[in-house]
Amino acid sequence: MDTQLIIDMATFNDLKEVMGTDFVLELIDTYTLETDGLIAQIYSAQAAGDSATFGRLAHSIKSSSASMGALAFSQQARELEMLGKAGDLSGAEPMLERFSADFLIVKQSLEDLKNVS
Amino acid sequence: MCPKTAPGRLLVVDDNKVNRLLLGRGLEQQGHTIALAENGRQALEMLHQNQFDLLLLDIQMPEMDGYQVLEKLNADLSLRDIPVIVTSGLEELDSVVRCIEMGAEDYLIKPVNPVLLRARIGACLEKKRLRDQQRDLIRRFATAEVAQDMEESGFALGGRYVEATAMFSDIRGFTTLAESQSPADTIDLLNTYYTLMFEAISGQGGVVNQMVGDGLMAIFGAPLVLSNHGEQAVLAALEMIEMIDLFNLDQTAAGKPDIRIGIGIATGQVIAGYTGTQRRATYTCVGNTVNLAARLESYTKVAGVPILVDECTRQSLGEKIRVDNLGLVPIKGLNQDVSIYSVPVGQRI
Repeated sequence: MDTQLIIDMATFNDLKEVMGTDFVLELIDTYTLETDGLIAQIYSAQAAGDSATFGRLAHSIKSSSASMGALAFSQQARELEMLGKAGDLSGAEPMLERFSADFLIVKQSLEDLKNVS
Repeated sequence: MCPKTAPGRLLVVDDNKVNRLLLGRGLEQQGHTIALAENGRQALEMLHQNQFDLLLLDIQMPEMDGYQVLEKLNADLSLRDIPVIVTSGLEELDSVVRCIEMGAEDYLIKPVNPVLLRARIGACLEKKRLRDQQRDLIRRFATAEVAQDMEESGFALGGRYVEATAMFSDIRGFTTLAESQSPADTIDLLNTYYTLMFEAISGQGGVVNQMVGDGLMAIFGAPLVLSNHGEQAVLAALEMIEMIDLFNLDQTAAGKPDIRIGIGIATGQVIAGYTGTQRRATYTCVGNTVNLAARLESYTKVAGVPILVDECTRQSLGEKIRVDNLGLVPIKGLNQDVSIYSVPVGQRI
């Protein structure tokens, strides 16, 4: 997939310009590490049927992903957040699988951008 | 363009590390000193340990969320004045409204726009600095009650009409007394007298706003609203006399002279406000009611009683306080005779 579609370059470039390239490159590592951890916690919340925690974790990913420019992925996180808020996790599993797989693409795209920078 | 503001010490609270780092970085670039907390509980601990000028608060967090933090801040006198800016997603505007209602100063939408960040933080810090300066000024020159009133109503020097009770009190024959003892004893006596009178007056919700020599003026019902300021002033007066009686026992035991005080009380409309300059202001009340209270205090010498009150004050008293009607008397400076009442001391209330 085209990196352009995964990461909104206008947002990403703005971020680099305002915060400094070195800071943003380090932030990519923090973001991927953190999000990996949050996704693992979302799975646990889903298994436990804890929709409030599920929603809060998705909310957290939504927010940091938008900051990094991963806008489509942030939108997916928003949908998960809505599920959590609605208190019904019955249809969450396939969405979570896709979300988890898509994060690998986001991660790869950010790695690519790191190498370009 | 936003004015450049002096740097502050800021606490960023967000459970998401990326958000924390981004906000922290943005603020550091603007010259501020930053501390980071990952949930509300940790933030409160840090707030108790260190001084901060501003709190940037996420709403949804584990352990203790933004609402709970705002609740704790509101309940804590030492922390309630720290301004809070909540950071939230675009879809959380309902939550933002709730936070503003709970006392948050402003909000920022995540991802945070750096220009907006600078503007809002700057404005917030400026406001806090101004408030801190005012508070320092007020605390230096005003009583705690007045300081609180000024903080709540804003630093307005303008006056207003209020229904209140004015009280004047002074020591009988003080000049003769002062001449009969050493200067140190006189100052010591005055300080004890003021301490006792302040206690009785503030115990009934009154505020001492003038002290001149051996005389003082107190206001009941302004700036703090009191449900029955007339009665509370009279109760304070009775307590003042009792305290003086106790004080006289000590004086006698120490071979020192007794003191006697006279108290005049009047109730009605007064013009209340802050007088002075921006550098030094005092809360004061003026008007006919205040003049009458001062005249009644002088008249206690003529009437030979310690406490005199006017008609309006008498009407505010419950049945448990006994008064003696002294009838209509001519009062210096007033065109008409005035009904005055003596409040006998030593009443069991």
